[in-house]
Amino acid sequence: MSDLKQTLISQFEENFEEIRKQWVITMQNLGHLKALTHDDIERQSKAICTTVINCLKTNSFKDAEAYAESLAKKAVLEAMTVDQIISGFLVLRDLYGRFIKKWYKDDFNQFFEVLDIYEPVARKIVYLVSNTFIQERDMVVKQQQEAILKLSTPLVQLWENVVLLPLIGVLDSVRAKQLIESVLMYIGQSKTEIIIMDIAGIAAIDTKTAHHILLTIQAAKLMGTEIIITGIRPEVATTLVTLGINMTGIETRSTLRDGVEYAFDKLGFKMLEAPKRQESREQSWKNQPSQS
Amino acid sequence: MSDSNIFIVSRELDIIAVREKVREVAKSIGFKIMDLTRIATAVSELVRNAFQYAGGGKVIIKIVQNQYHKGIEVIVEDHGPGITNLDLVLNGGYSTGKGLGLGLSGAKKLMDEFFIETNQNNGTIITTRKWL
Amino acid sequence: MEKSTIPILRLGNYLLTSPQIAIHDKIAVQYKDEILQKIVETKVKGLILDISAIDVVDSFLVRVISEIASSANLMGCPTVVSGMSPAVAITLAEMDLSLRGVFTALDIEKSLKILRGEEMRHT
Repeated sequence: MSDLKQTLISQFEENFEEIRKQWVITMQNLGHLKALTHDDIERQSKAICTTVINCLKTNSFKDAEAYAESLAKKAVLEAMTVDQIISGFLVLRDLYGRFIKKWYKDDFNQFFEVLDIYEPVARKIVYLVSNTFIQERDMVVKQQQEAILKLSTPLVQLWENVVLLPLIGVLDSVRAKQLIESVLMYIGQSKTEIIIMDIAGIAAIDTKTAHHILLTIQAAKLMGTEIIITGIRPEVATTLVTLGINMTGIETRSTLRDGVEYAFDKLGFKMLEAPKRQESREQSWKNQPSQS
Repeated sequence: MSDSNIFIVSRELDIIAVREKVREVAKSIGFKIMDLTRIATAVSELVRNAFQYAGGGKVIIKIVQNQYHKGIEVIVEDHGPGITNLDLVLNGGYSTGKGLGLGLSGAKKLMDEFFIETNQNNGTIITTRKWL
Repeated sequence: MEKSTIPILRLGNYLLTSPQIAIHDKIAVQYKDEILQKIVETKVKGLILDISAIDVVDSFLVRVISEIASSANLMGCPTVVSGMSPAVAITLAEMDLSLRGVFTALDIEKSLKILRGEEMRHT
Protein backbone atom coordinates (compact mmCIF):
# COMPACT_ATOMS: atom_id res chain seq x y z
CA MET A 1 0.00 0.00 0.00
CA SER A 2 1.31 3.42 -0.88
CA ASP A 3 2.27 5.89 1.82
CA LEU A 4 -0.34 8.32 0.65
CA LYS A 5 -3.05 5.72 0.98
CA GLN A 6 -1.83 4.78 4.42
CA THR A 7 -1.90 8.41 5.42
CA LEU A 8 -5.41 8.84 4.08
CA ILE A 9 -6.65 5.85 6.01
CA SER A 10 -5.05 7.13 9.20
CA GLN A 11 -6.65 10.51 8.69
CA PHE A 12 -10.06 8.89 8.21
CA GLU A 13 -9.53 6.86 11.35
CA GLU A 14 -8.31 9.73 13.48
CA ASN A 15 -11.22 11.92 12.41
CA PHE A 16 -13.70 9.08 12.62
CA GLU A 17 -15.95 10.66 15.25
CA GLU A 18 -15.98 14.08 13.63
CA ILE A 19 -16.90 12.62 10.25
CA ARG A 20 -19.51 10.36 11.76
CA LYS A 21 -21.19 13.18 13.67
CA GLN A 22 -21.20 15.35 10.58
CA TRP A 23 -22.85 12.53 8.66
CA VAL A 24 -25.55 12.17 11.26
CA ILE A 25 -26.30 15.91 11.21
CA THR A 26 -26.47 16.03 7.41
CA MET A 27 -28.74 12.98 7.29
CA GLN A 28 -30.99 14.43 9.99
CA ASN A 29 -31.27 17.68 8.07
CA LEU A 30 -32.34 15.66 5.05
CA GLY A 31 -34.94 13.95 7.23
CA HIS A 32 -33.61 10.49 6.52
CA LEU A 33 -33.16 9.34 10.09
CA LYS A 34 -36.62 10.16 11.41
CA ALA A 35 -37.70 6.60 12.04
CA LEU A 36 -34.52 5.57 13.81
CA THR A 37 -33.86 5.48 17.53
CA HIS A 38 -30.80 7.15 18.96
CA ASP A 39 -29.09 3.78 19.36
CA ASP A 40 -29.93 2.83 15.81
CA ILE A 41 -28.37 6.03 14.56
CA GLU A 42 -25.19 5.37 16.54
CA ARG A 43 -25.01 1.84 15.16
CA GLN A 44 -25.73 2.64 11.53
CA SER A 45 -23.44 5.63 11.35
CA LYS A 46 -20.59 3.65 12.91
CA ALA A 47 -21.21 0.73 10.58
CA ILE A 48 -21.32 2.84 7.46
CA CYS A 49 -18.16 4.77 8.25
CA THR A 50 -16.26 1.63 9.21
CA THR A 51 -17.28 -0.07 5.98
CA VAL A 52 -15.64 2.56 3.82
CA ILE A 53 -12.43 2.54 5.82
CA ASN A 54 -12.25 -1.24 5.74
CA CYS A 55 -12.65 -1.27 1.99
CA LEU A 56 -9.79 1.14 1.65
CA LYS A 57 -7.65 -0.85 4.05
CA THR A 58 -8.21 -4.31 2.72
CA ASN A 59 -8.64 -3.40 -0.93
CA SER A 60 -11.56 -5.77 -0.97
CA PHE A 61 -15.20 -4.83 -1.16
CA LYS A 62 -16.53 -7.90 0.58
CA ASP A 63 -17.29 -5.78 3.63
CA ALA A 64 -19.40 -3.38 1.61
CA GLU A 65 -21.20 -6.22 -0.13
CA ALA A 66 -21.92 -8.04 3.09
CA TYR A 67 -23.12 -4.87 4.76
CA ALA A 68 -25.34 -3.99 1.81
CA GLU A 69 -26.77 -7.50 1.73
CA SER A 70 -27.62 -7.45 5.41
CA LEU A 71 -29.25 -4.05 4.92
CA ALA A 72 -31.16 -5.20 1.86
CA LYS A 73 -32.59 -8.14 3.68
CA LYS A 74 -33.45 -6.23 6.79
CA ALA A 75 -34.29 -2.90 5.17
CA VAL A 76 -37.83 -3.06 6.48
CA LEU A 77 -36.72 -3.69 10.03
CA GLU A 78 -33.99 -1.10 9.96
CA ALA A 79 -36.67 1.54 9.33
CA MET A 80 -34.82 3.16 6.49
CA THR A 81 -36.02 3.07 2.93
CA VAL A 82 -33.78 2.06 0.09
CA ASP A 83 -33.37 5.57 -1.20
CA GLN A 84 -32.50 6.76 2.30
CA ILE A 85 -29.79 4.14 2.61
CA ILE A 86 -28.30 4.94 -0.77
CA SER A 87 -28.54 8.61 0.08
CA GLY A 88 -26.63 7.81 3.25
CA PHE A 89 -23.73 6.38 1.28
CA LEU A 90 -23.75 9.32 -1.10
CA VAL A 91 -23.74 11.80 1.76
CA LEU A 92 -20.82 9.96 3.31
CA ARG A 93 -18.98 9.95 0.01
CA ASP A 94 -19.40 13.72 -0.28
CA LEU A 95 -18.38 14.20 3.31
CA TYR A 96 -15.14 12.29 2.92
CA GLY A 97 -14.53 14.27 -0.26
CA ARG A 98 -14.88 17.54 1.65
CA PHE A 99 -12.51 16.41 4.34
CA ILE A 100 -9.96 15.44 1.72
CA LYS A 101 -10.27 18.91 0.16
CA LYS A 102 -9.74 20.47 3.56
CA TRP A 103 -6.66 18.40 4.39
CA TYR A 104 -4.97 18.70 1.01
CA LYS A 105 -6.01 22.18 -0.08
CA ASP A 106 -2.46 23.46 -0.01
CA ASP A 107 -0.98 20.82 -2.31
CA PHE A 108 -2.80 20.35 -5.59
CA ASN A 109 -0.65 17.46 -6.75
CA GLN A 110 -1.19 15.45 -3.62
CA PHE A 111 -4.86 16.41 -3.68
CA PHE A 112 -5.42 14.82 -7.02
CA GLU A 113 -3.33 11.78 -6.08
CA VAL A 114 -5.46 11.26 -3.02
CA LEU A 115 -8.62 11.63 -5.07
CA ASP A 116 -7.26 8.97 -7.40
CA ILE A 117 -7.04 6.64 -4.45
CA TYR A 118 -10.31 7.58 -2.82
CA GLU A 119 -12.77 8.15 -5.64
CA PRO A 120 -12.77 4.69 -7.26
CA VAL A 121 -13.32 3.10 -3.86
CA ALA A 122 -16.19 5.42 -2.99
CA ARG A 123 -17.77 4.92 -6.37
CA LYS A 124 -17.55 1.19 -6.18
CA ILE A 125 -19.11 1.10 -2.75
CA VAL A 126 -22.11 3.13 -3.84
CA TYR A 127 -22.44 0.98 -6.94
CA LEU A 128 -22.28 -2.25 -4.95
CA VAL A 129 -24.82 -1.10 -2.41
CA SER A 130 -27.26 0.04 -5.09
CA ASN A 131 -26.76 -3.15 -7.03
CA THR A 132 -27.38 -5.31 -4.01
CA PHE A 133 -30.69 -3.61 -3.39
CA ILE A 134 -31.69 -4.00 -7.01
CA GLN A 135 -30.88 -7.69 -6.97
CA GLU A 136 -32.72 -8.25 -3.74
CA ARG A 137 -35.76 -6.49 -5.15
CA ASP A 138 -35.53 -8.45 -8.40
CA MET A 139 -35.62 -11.65 -6.42
CA VAL A 140 -38.73 -10.58 -4.53
CA VAL A 141 -40.40 -9.58 -7.78
CA LYS A 142 -39.49 -12.92 -9.31
CA GLN A 143 -40.98 -14.78 -6.36
CA GLN A 144 -44.15 -12.73 -6.59
CA GLN A 145 -44.36 -13.35 -10.31
CA GLU A 146 -44.12 -17.07 -9.76
CA ALA A 147 -46.87 -16.89 -7.21
CA ILE A 148 -49.04 -14.93 -9.61
CA LEU A 149 -48.34 -17.37 -12.39
CA LYS A 150 -49.51 -20.19 -10.21
CA LEU A 151 -52.75 -18.36 -9.59
CA SER A 152 -53.22 -17.23 -13.14
CA THR A 153 -53.67 -20.49 -14.96
CA PRO A 154 -57.17 -21.12 -13.72
CA LEU A 155 -58.78 -24.13 -15.28
CA VAL A 156 -62.51 -24.13 -14.67
CA GLN A 157 -64.48 -27.26 -15.31
CA LEU A 158 -67.73 -26.34 -17.04
CA TRP A 159 -69.01 -29.86 -17.54
CA GLU A 160 -67.81 -33.38 -17.94
CA ASN A 161 -64.88 -33.16 -20.35
CA VAL A 162 -65.23 -29.43 -20.95
CA VAL A 163 -62.86 -27.06 -19.22
CA LEU A 164 -62.58 -23.31 -19.51
CA LEU A 165 -59.20 -21.59 -19.49
CA PRO A 166 -59.72 -17.83 -19.25
CA LEU A 167 -56.54 -15.90 -19.91
CA ILE A 168 -56.27 -12.37 -18.64
CA GLY A 169 -53.78 -9.59 -18.87
CA VAL A 170 -50.49 -9.58 -20.64
CA LEU A 171 -49.47 -12.91 -22.07
CA ASP A 172 -45.72 -12.61 -22.39
CA SER A 173 -43.63 -15.49 -23.54
CA VAL A 174 -42.50 -16.43 -20.03
CA ARG A 175 -46.08 -16.81 -18.93
CA ALA A 176 -46.99 -18.56 -22.16
CA LYS A 177 -44.27 -21.13 -21.64
CA GLN A 178 -45.54 -21.86 -18.14
CA LEU A 179 -48.98 -22.15 -19.64
CA ILE A 180 -48.06 -24.94 -22.01
CA GLU A 181 -46.69 -27.12 -19.27
CA SER A 182 -49.49 -26.55 -16.76
CA VAL A 183 -52.24 -27.04 -19.32
CA LEU A 184 -50.75 -30.24 -20.68
CA MET A 185 -50.10 -31.66 -17.21
CA TYR A 186 -53.71 -30.86 -16.36
CA ILE A 187 -54.91 -32.66 -19.46
CA GLY A 188 -52.80 -35.67 -18.56
CA GLN A 189 -54.31 -35.85 -15.09
CA SER A 190 -57.92 -34.93 -15.76
CA LYS A 191 -58.36 -36.49 -19.21
CA THR A 192 -60.42 -33.51 -20.35
CA GLU A 193 -61.45 -33.80 -24.00
CA ILE A 194 -62.11 -30.16 -24.79
CA ILE A 195 -60.51 -26.98 -23.46
CA ILE A 196 -61.98 -23.61 -24.25
CA MET A 197 -59.18 -21.06 -24.18
CA ASP A 198 -60.84 -17.70 -23.84
CA ILE A 199 -58.58 -14.77 -24.65
CA ALA A 200 -61.09 -11.94 -24.44
CA GLY A 201 -59.06 -10.59 -21.54
CA ILE A 202 -55.80 -10.49 -23.49
CA ALA A 203 -55.03 -7.08 -24.91
CA ALA A 204 -52.12 -7.95 -27.16
CA ILE A 205 -49.83 -10.78 -28.12
CA ASP A 206 -46.52 -11.06 -29.92
CA THR A 207 -45.12 -13.70 -32.26
CA LYS A 208 -43.45 -15.74 -29.56
CA THR A 209 -46.62 -15.90 -27.50
CA ALA A 210 -48.77 -16.83 -30.49
CA HIS A 211 -46.22 -19.52 -31.26
CA HIS A 212 -46.47 -20.89 -27.71
CA ILE A 213 -50.25 -20.96 -27.88
CA LEU A 214 -50.13 -22.86 -31.15
CA LEU A 215 -47.65 -25.32 -29.66
CA THR A 216 -50.01 -25.90 -26.75
CA ILE A 217 -52.87 -26.63 -29.13
CA GLN A 218 -50.70 -28.93 -31.22
CA ALA A 219 -49.43 -30.87 -28.24
CA ALA A 220 -52.91 -31.16 -26.76
CA LYS A 221 -54.16 -32.56 -30.04
CA LEU A 222 -51.43 -35.21 -29.96
CA MET A 223 -52.66 -36.23 -26.55
CA GLY A 224 -56.25 -36.40 -27.69
CA THR A 225 -57.66 -33.09 -26.50
CA GLU A 226 -59.05 -30.29 -28.62
CA ILE A 227 -58.31 -26.73 -27.58
CA ILE A 228 -60.55 -24.12 -29.13
CA ILE A 229 -60.00 -20.40 -28.89
CA THR A 230 -62.73 -17.93 -28.06
CA GLY A 231 -62.84 -14.21 -27.50
CA ILE A 232 -60.29 -13.07 -30.06
CA ARG A 233 -60.39 -9.28 -29.96
CA PRO A 234 -60.00 -7.26 -33.17
CA GLU A 235 -56.51 -6.09 -32.16
CA VAL A 236 -55.39 -9.63 -31.50
CA ALA A 237 -57.00 -10.87 -34.72
CA THR A 238 -55.14 -8.22 -36.69
CA THR A 239 -51.86 -9.17 -35.05
CA LEU A 240 -52.39 -12.84 -35.87
CA VAL A 241 -53.12 -12.06 -39.50
CA THR A 242 -50.24 -9.59 -39.83
CA LEU A 243 -47.78 -12.03 -38.30
CA GLY A 244 -49.00 -14.66 -40.73
CA ILE A 245 -49.79 -17.10 -37.97
CA ASN A 246 -51.21 -20.29 -39.39
CA MET A 247 -54.48 -21.05 -37.67
CA THR A 248 -55.65 -23.89 -39.91
CA GLY A 249 -57.21 -26.77 -38.05
CA ILE A 250 -57.89 -24.63 -34.99
CA GLU A 251 -61.49 -23.94 -34.09
CA THR A 252 -62.18 -20.42 -33.02
CA ARG A 253 -65.35 -18.70 -31.91
CA SER A 254 -65.88 -15.07 -31.13
CA THR A 255 -67.77 -15.59 -27.88
CA LEU A 256 -67.42 -17.98 -25.01
CA ARG A 257 -71.05 -18.92 -25.47
CA ASP A 258 -70.41 -20.09 -29.01
CA GLY A 259 -67.38 -21.99 -27.79
CA VAL A 260 -69.47 -23.82 -25.23
CA GLU A 261 -72.06 -24.63 -27.87
CA TYR A 262 -69.36 -26.10 -30.10
CA ALA A 263 -67.96 -28.16 -27.25
CA PHE A 264 -71.32 -29.58 -26.19
CA ASP A 265 -72.15 -30.34 -29.78
CA LYS A 266 -68.91 -32.20 -30.33
CA LEU A 267 -69.40 -34.23 -27.18
CA GLY A 268 -72.89 -35.18 -28.27
CA PHE A 269 -74.74 -33.12 -25.67
CA LYS A 270 -77.89 -31.29 -26.46
CA MET A 271 -79.50 -28.48 -24.50
CA LEU A 272 -83.23 -28.87 -24.09
CA GLU A 273 -85.67 -26.42 -22.66
CA ALA A 274 -87.35 -27.69 -19.53
CA PRO A 275 -91.19 -28.00 -19.76
CA LYS A 276 -92.89 -24.72 -18.82
CA ARG A 277 -94.17 -24.37 -15.26
CA GLN A 278 -97.67 -23.39 -16.50
CA GLU A 279 -98.07 -26.72 -18.23
CA SER A 280 -96.97 -28.75 -15.26
CA ARG A 281 -99.45 -26.97 -13.00
CA GLU A 282 -102.20 -27.78 -15.48
CA GLN A 283 -101.03 -31.35 -15.51
CA SER A 284 -101.19 -31.77 -11.75
CA TRP A 285 -104.64 -30.12 -11.65
CA LYS A 286 -105.84 -32.62 -14.18
CA ASN A 287 -104.63 -35.46 -12.01
CA GLN A 288 -106.54 -34.30 -8.95
CA PRO A 289 -109.69 -36.25 -8.20
CA SER A 290 -112.58 -34.11 -9.40
CA GLN A 291 -114.56 -32.39 -6.72
CA SER A 292 -118.23 -32.81 -6.73
CA MET B 1 -13.97 -34.00 -12.73
CA SER B 2 -15.53 -37.38 -13.07
CA ASP B 3 -18.58 -35.82 -14.67
CA SER B 4 -17.89 -37.37 -18.05
CA ASN B 5 -19.55 -40.48 -19.37
CA ILE B 6 -18.26 -41.94 -22.60
CA PHE B 7 -20.16 -44.44 -24.72
CA ILE B 8 -19.31 -46.25 -27.88
CA VAL B 9 -22.38 -46.78 -30.02
CA SER B 10 -22.22 -49.72 -32.35
CA ARG B 11 -25.55 -51.52 -32.07
CA GLU B 12 -29.02 -50.05 -32.12
CA LEU B 13 -29.64 -51.27 -28.59
CA ASP B 14 -26.96 -48.79 -27.56
CA ILE B 15 -29.20 -45.90 -28.58
CA ILE B 16 -31.56 -46.76 -25.78
CA ALA B 17 -28.78 -47.25 -23.25
CA VAL B 18 -27.24 -43.87 -24.07
CA ARG B 19 -30.63 -42.21 -23.91
CA GLU B 20 -31.26 -43.63 -20.47
CA LYS B 21 -27.85 -42.55 -19.23
CA VAL B 22 -28.33 -39.01 -20.48
CA ARG B 23 -31.68 -38.86 -18.76
CA GLU B 24 -30.14 -40.13 -15.54
CA VAL B 25 -27.36 -37.55 -15.60
CA ALA B 26 -29.74 -34.74 -16.49
CA LYS B 27 -32.08 -35.73 -13.70
CA SER B 28 -29.22 -35.79 -11.22
CA ILE B 29 -28.49 -32.11 -11.78
CA GLY B 30 -32.10 -31.09 -11.45
CA PHE B 31 -33.82 -31.20 -14.81
CA LYS B 32 -37.52 -31.91 -14.59
CA ILE B 33 -39.72 -34.25 -16.64
CA MET B 34 -40.39 -31.94 -19.60
CA ASP B 35 -36.74 -31.09 -20.14
CA LEU B 36 -35.65 -34.65 -19.42
CA THR B 37 -37.84 -35.83 -22.27
CA ARG B 38 -36.58 -33.10 -24.58
CA ILE B 39 -32.96 -33.97 -23.87
CA ALA B 40 -33.46 -37.73 -24.16
CA THR B 41 -35.34 -37.30 -27.43
CA ALA B 42 -32.72 -34.99 -28.93
CA VAL B 43 -29.92 -37.37 -28.01
CA SER B 44 -31.90 -40.29 -29.40
CA GLU B 45 -32.12 -38.49 -32.74
CA LEU B 46 -28.44 -37.67 -32.86
CA VAL B 47 -27.22 -41.09 -31.84
CA ARG B 48 -29.55 -42.81 -34.26
CA ASN B 49 -28.18 -40.66 -37.08
CA ALA B 50 -24.64 -41.60 -36.17
CA PHE B 51 -25.60 -45.23 -36.17
CA GLN B 52 -27.58 -45.12 -39.39
CA TYR B 53 -25.25 -43.00 -41.50
CA ALA B 54 -21.88 -43.86 -40.04
CA GLY B 55 -22.35 -47.28 -38.52
CA GLY B 56 -21.81 -45.98 -35.04
CA GLY B 57 -19.82 -43.45 -33.09
CA LYS B 58 -18.80 -42.04 -29.76
CA VAL B 59 -21.02 -40.22 -27.28
CA ILE B 60 -19.66 -38.08 -24.46
CA ILE B 61 -22.01 -36.91 -21.73
CA LYS B 62 -20.80 -34.16 -19.44
CA ILE B 63 -22.14 -31.93 -16.70
CA VAL B 64 -21.15 -28.35 -17.41
CA GLN B 65 -21.38 -25.00 -15.67
CA ASN B 66 -21.69 -21.50 -17.04
CA GLN B 67 -21.85 -18.17 -15.29
CA TYR B 68 -25.34 -18.74 -13.97
CA HIS B 69 -26.41 -22.36 -14.21
CA LYS B 70 -25.48 -25.97 -14.43
CA GLY B 71 -26.17 -27.79 -17.65
CA ILE B 72 -25.70 -30.98 -19.59
CA GLU B 73 -23.49 -31.34 -22.62
CA VAL B 74 -23.65 -34.21 -25.09
CA ILE B 75 -21.13 -34.70 -27.87
CA VAL B 76 -21.90 -37.19 -30.63
CA GLU B 77 -18.94 -38.00 -32.83
CA ASP B 78 -18.83 -40.26 -35.87
CA HIS B 79 -16.45 -41.06 -38.73
CA GLY B 80 -19.08 -41.29 -41.40
CA PRO B 81 -19.46 -39.56 -44.74
CA GLY B 82 -20.29 -36.17 -43.27
CA ILE B 83 -23.47 -34.19 -43.84
CA THR B 84 -23.81 -32.42 -47.14
CA ASN B 85 -26.14 -29.45 -47.50
CA LEU B 86 -25.95 -28.80 -43.80
CA ASP B 87 -27.98 -25.59 -44.08
CA LEU B 88 -30.86 -27.26 -45.84
CA VAL B 89 -30.88 -30.17 -43.46
CA LEU B 90 -30.86 -27.99 -40.36
CA ASN B 91 -33.56 -25.67 -41.56
CA GLY B 92 -35.98 -28.42 -42.37
CA GLY B 93 -35.30 -28.42 -46.08
CA TYR B 94 -35.84 -32.16 -46.03
CA SER B 95 -39.08 -32.08 -44.20
CA THR B 96 -40.65 -35.42 -44.93
CA GLY B 97 -39.28 -38.89 -45.00
CA LYS B 98 -35.58 -38.12 -44.85
CA GLY B 99 -34.55 -39.26 -41.41
CA LEU B 100 -31.47 -37.12 -41.21
CA GLY B 101 -33.29 -33.85 -41.74
CA LEU B 102 -36.06 -34.59 -39.30
CA GLY B 103 -33.80 -35.83 -36.59
CA LEU B 104 -31.23 -33.08 -36.77
CA SER B 105 -33.53 -30.09 -37.05
CA GLY B 106 -35.79 -31.58 -34.42
CA ALA B 107 -32.93 -32.08 -31.98
CA LYS B 108 -31.78 -28.51 -32.56
CA LYS B 109 -35.17 -27.15 -31.56
CA LEU B 110 -35.14 -29.06 -28.31
CA MET B 111 -31.74 -27.97 -27.03
CA ASP B 112 -30.31 -24.59 -26.00
CA GLU B 113 -26.99 -24.83 -27.85
CA PHE B 114 -26.24 -26.85 -30.95
CA PHE B 115 -23.00 -26.96 -32.95
CA ILE B 116 -22.05 -29.15 -35.90
CA GLU B 117 -18.67 -29.75 -37.44
CA THR B 118 -18.85 -31.96 -40.48
CA ASN B 119 -16.82 -32.90 -43.51
CA GLN B 120 -16.39 -35.83 -45.89
CA ASN B 121 -13.03 -36.90 -44.55
CA ASN B 122 -13.39 -36.76 -40.82
CA GLY B 123 -17.05 -37.34 -40.24
CA THR B 124 -19.30 -35.37 -37.95
CA ILE B 125 -19.08 -33.97 -34.45
CA ILE B 126 -22.24 -32.59 -32.90
CA THR B 127 -22.05 -30.70 -29.62
CA THR B 128 -25.27 -29.83 -27.88
CA ARG B 129 -26.13 -28.37 -24.48
CA LYS B 130 -29.13 -27.63 -22.33
CA TRP B 131 -29.04 -25.34 -19.31
CA LEU B 132 -31.09 -25.48 -16.15
CA MET C 1 -36.74 -63.57 -36.56
CA GLU C 2 -37.57 -63.41 -32.90
CA LYS C 3 -40.99 -62.28 -31.82
CA SER C 4 -41.44 -58.84 -30.45
CA THR C 5 -42.92 -60.08 -27.15
CA ILE C 6 -45.20 -57.06 -27.09
CA PRO C 7 -48.67 -58.42 -26.40
CA ILE C 8 -51.42 -57.67 -28.90
CA LEU C 9 -54.81 -58.29 -27.35
CA ARG C 10 -58.23 -58.57 -28.85
CA LEU C 11 -60.88 -56.31 -27.38
CA GLY C 12 -64.12 -57.30 -29.10
CA ASN C 13 -63.99 -55.83 -32.55
CA TYR C 14 -60.67 -54.16 -31.96
CA LEU C 15 -57.04 -54.84 -31.16
CA LEU C 16 -55.26 -53.31 -28.22
CA THR C 17 -51.50 -53.20 -27.89
CA SER C 18 -49.53 -51.41 -25.21
CA PRO C 19 -45.73 -51.58 -25.46
CA GLN C 20 -44.07 -51.48 -22.07
CA ILE C 21 -40.51 -51.53 -23.35
CA ALA C 22 -38.51 -49.31 -25.64
CA ILE C 23 -38.99 -50.24 -29.27
CA HIS C 24 -35.70 -50.34 -31.11
CA ASP C 25 -35.17 -50.92 -34.79
CA LYS C 26 -35.35 -54.65 -35.36
CA ILE C 27 -38.10 -55.13 -32.83
CA ALA C 28 -40.06 -52.35 -34.53
CA VAL C 29 -40.18 -54.17 -37.85
CA GLN C 30 -41.21 -57.39 -36.16
CA TYR C 31 -43.84 -55.62 -34.06
CA LYS C 32 -45.35 -53.89 -37.07
CA ASP C 33 -45.60 -57.18 -38.95
CA GLU C 34 -47.21 -58.94 -36.01
CA ILE C 35 -49.85 -56.23 -35.69
CA LEU C 36 -50.70 -56.27 -39.37
CA GLN C 37 -50.76 -60.06 -39.39
CA LYS C 38 -53.19 -60.10 -36.50
CA ILE C 39 -55.44 -57.52 -38.18
CA VAL C 40 -55.67 -59.77 -41.21
CA GLU C 41 -56.35 -62.83 -39.07
CA THR C 42 -59.00 -61.32 -36.85
CA LYS C 43 -60.53 -58.87 -39.33
CA VAL C 44 -60.92 -56.31 -36.56
CA LYS C 45 -62.34 -52.87 -37.24
CA GLY C 46 -59.88 -50.85 -35.23
CA LEU C 47 -56.47 -50.74 -33.57
CA ILE C 48 -55.58 -49.05 -30.30
CA LEU C 49 -51.90 -48.31 -29.86
CA ASP C 50 -51.48 -47.32 -26.23
CA ILE C 51 -48.19 -45.52 -25.68
CA SER C 52 -48.73 -44.45 -22.07
CA ALA C 53 -45.68 -46.45 -20.98
CA ILE C 54 -43.38 -44.90 -23.57
CA ASP C 55 -41.39 -41.98 -22.25
CA VAL C 56 -39.44 -41.03 -25.36
CA VAL C 57 -40.88 -40.84 -28.84
CA ASP C 58 -38.36 -39.82 -31.48
CA SER C 59 -38.77 -39.36 -35.24
CA PHE C 60 -38.03 -43.05 -35.79
CA LEU C 61 -40.90 -44.16 -33.60
CA VAL C 62 -43.19 -41.59 -35.19
CA ARG C 63 -42.38 -43.15 -38.53
CA VAL C 64 -43.06 -46.66 -37.25
CA ILE C 65 -46.42 -45.60 -35.83
CA SER C 66 -47.34 -43.83 -39.06
CA GLU C 67 -46.42 -46.92 -41.07
CA ILE C 68 -48.50 -49.17 -38.88
CA ALA C 69 -51.44 -46.79 -39.17
CA SER C 70 -51.20 -46.40 -42.95
CA SER C 71 -51.09 -50.13 -43.56
CA ALA C 72 -53.88 -50.76 -41.07
CA ASN C 73 -55.99 -48.05 -42.71
CA LEU C 74 -55.59 -49.76 -46.06
CA MET C 75 -57.05 -52.85 -44.44
CA GLY C 76 -60.09 -50.94 -43.22
CA CYS C 77 -58.74 -50.69 -39.71
CA PRO C 78 -58.37 -47.17 -38.27
CA THR C 79 -55.70 -46.62 -35.64
CA VAL C 80 -55.94 -44.64 -32.41
CA VAL C 81 -52.79 -43.61 -30.56
CA SER C 82 -53.72 -43.45 -26.92
CA GLY C 83 -52.21 -42.17 -23.70
CA MET C 84 -49.42 -39.93 -24.98
CA SER C 85 -47.72 -38.27 -22.02
CA PRO C 86 -47.60 -34.45 -21.73
CA ALA C 87 -43.80 -34.45 -21.98
CA VAL C 88 -43.79 -36.50 -25.17
CA ALA C 89 -46.57 -34.35 -26.62
CA ILE C 90 -44.67 -31.11 -26.02
CA THR C 91 -41.48 -32.60 -27.42
CA LEU C 92 -43.16 -33.76 -30.63
CA ALA C 93 -44.94 -30.42 -31.01
CA GLU C 94 -41.68 -28.52 -30.53
CA MET C 95 -39.95 -30.72 -33.10
CA ASP C 96 -42.89 -30.05 -35.39
CA LEU C 97 -43.40 -33.77 -35.91
CA SER C 98 -46.94 -34.70 -36.71
CA LEU C 99 -48.61 -38.07 -36.44
CA ARG C 100 -50.41 -38.54 -39.73
CA GLY C 101 -53.25 -40.88 -40.36
CA VAL C 102 -54.10 -41.63 -36.75
CA PHE C 103 -56.66 -40.58 -34.23
CA THR C 104 -55.40 -39.62 -30.82
CA ALA C 105 -57.11 -40.23 -27.51
CA LEU C 106 -56.38 -39.58 -23.88
CA ASP C 107 -56.95 -43.15 -22.74
CA ILE C 108 -58.20 -46.53 -23.84
CA GLU C 109 -61.81 -45.83 -22.94
CA LYS C 110 -61.86 -42.74 -25.15
CA SER C 111 -60.09 -44.71 -27.87
CA LEU C 112 -62.96 -47.17 -27.88
CA LYS C 113 -65.42 -44.30 -28.15
CA ILE C 114 -63.64 -43.06 -31.26
CA LEU C 115 -63.45 -46.47 -32.86
CA ARG C 116 -67.11 -47.19 -32.21
CA GLY C 117 -67.95 -43.87 -33.79
CA GLU C 118 -65.86 -44.72 -36.83
CA GLU C 119 -67.43 -48.13 -37.09
CA MET C 120 -70.91 -46.64 -37.05
CA ARG C 121 -70.02 -44.17 -39.72
CA HIS C 122 -68.92 -46.91 -42.05
CA THR C 123 -71.83 -49.27 -41.67
